[in-house]
Amino acid sequence: MDSRRPGQLPPSDSAFLIRARGVRLDYGAQTVLDSVDLQVGAGEFWFLLGRNGTGKSTFLKALLGLVKPRSGCIVVHPALAQRERFGFVPQNSVFNPALPTTVREFVLLAMAGLSMGRKEESRRLGAALASVGLQGTERRDYWSLSDGQRQRVLVARALARNPRLLIMDEPTNGLDVACEAALLEHLATLNREEALSLLFVSHNLATATRYATHVALFHERRVTAGRASHILTSANLKHVYGFSLDET
Amino acid sequence: MIQSFLDSWALFHNTYLAGWLSGILLAMVGVLVLAREQIFLSAAVAQASSLGIALGMWAGGQEPLARLDWLHSDAFLSAMAVGLAVATALTARSTNGGNRLGAEAITGWIFLAAASSSTLLLAHSPHGTEEINRLLSSSLIGASAADVWLFGGLAGATALTLIRYHRAILLMAMDPPMAAAIGLRLRPWSILTAAWLGLVIGLAMRSTGMLFTFGCLVLPALVAGLVCRELRAMFVIAPLAACLAAGLGFVIANEYDYPPAQMTVALLCAGVIVIGLMRRLLERI
Repeated sequence: MDSRRPGQLPPSDSAFLIRARGVRLDYGAQTVLDSVDLQVGAGEFWFLLGRNGTGKSTFLKALLGLVKPRSGCIVVHPALAQRERFGFVPQNSVFNPALPTTVREFVLLAMAGLSMGRKEESRRLGAALASVGLQGTERRDYWSLSDGQRQRVLVARALARNPRLLIMDEPTNGLDVACEAALLEHLATLNREEALSLLFVSHNLATATRYATHVALFHERRVTAGRASHILTSANLKHVYGFSLDET
Repeated sequence: MIQSFLDSWALFHNTYLAGWLSGILLAMVGVLVLAREQIFLSAAVAQASSLGIALGMWAGGQEPLARLDWLHSDAFLSAMAVGLAVATALTARSTNGGNRLGAEAITGWIFLAAASSSTLLLAHSPHGTEEINRLLSSSLIGASAADVWLFGGLAGATALTLIRYHRAILLMAMDPPMAAAIGLRLRPWSILTAAWLGLVIGLAMRSTGMLFTFGCLVLPALVAGLVCRELRAMFVIAPLAACLAAGLGFVIANEYDYPPAQMTVALLCAGVIVIGLMRRLLERI
């Protein structure tokens, strides 16, 4: 009998959660990315770095299944193929403000497709909000929150699903320094203690240096990916950004 | 006033019931239209269904097609209305985001093309212009028992689907990337909702006309948006608002001899203003 929890990877086959092989992504007639090879394993904290317009967000969309690769393939581990334990945090909340919603409802919307009792739902909701410092805000009007608070609710919404893989597109946009630090520390703890894998689009090299176990550098339609210590080298950064870490 | 309304029940009960049930159905679908910011698209779909009816009537007036009895049947015109509405909703879905003109521009084109061509098609037909004007201005008189059953069935099916899947449906409407991330299948859902929108609007257009259809699609959802604190409550409040406005509208229209569809839409418009002002006042207090 298989005693694993739903979504848990078999011990012998946990080499990757999601894998891109030879992926080419086009936007209209223009090729955004070509020959991308990247493999995310359990417990890895990936930072996707690169200048604006180098295809980081497009690559995330491809991982989410919103953009189809022109060639190559993106494979999700069979145990996670239903994506029930994926989470996503967008750059900002671009929802229709004419729609009324509370923090509670907004977070619980993302529990769609999961079957659980109300008690468990409430427990997960409380834990997710507490993890982003918004405990006790369940009944508040989502639109009465500040931009930074709304961004934290987006993170809580993704965490409420107990994800194995969390994909985040510049999630610290709009957060003050203290909130950003607290959020990153919390994510790093989940990464260490619960083997949560993270894909984190960022422009912050200092943050990447501190937290990343792996880095993907996006530059001129190509991606250089691997362990952070191998990728975050002065030569690579000079090539991508025109300056190295020593100069920052 | 109530007694006069009750006296008219024997003659117009199908009209009243079809009006209420189509209002409830449109209001539920309207919450999704508002969530997906597709108000303009729904107007274009309604206009396209009037083109479908015009095409059906035009075809029925052409020799040798004019000899085919079924071309003049109500079922054929309803099928044409639904067909064009569904086709428009699906076309707009597939061009959304992938066209240089942009979704809103294409929707505008559909609206204008459908409005102008439906009038032009029937400009020389004896009763054609009259029929198009009736469709645009709305008349509930003439609904049959079949309309009552049809709208009742569709309203029931929509309500059951919303009860079972409201979270997934709202998430896919509001935040497609998150919905895709957690494995919800966006493409089939998007096709299904576009087809459902077309079906509901097409059938409502044939029975109740443009004003009532568009009014009950948009205004109850706006009322619910002003009253509710949560989205899921809107699926209850919007149909209630439609039902209340249609009930009151039919009673007043019957008493003072006004057209019931226009009275209902006018009451809903007034409701949006009054509730909006009350809400603003309460926020200041």
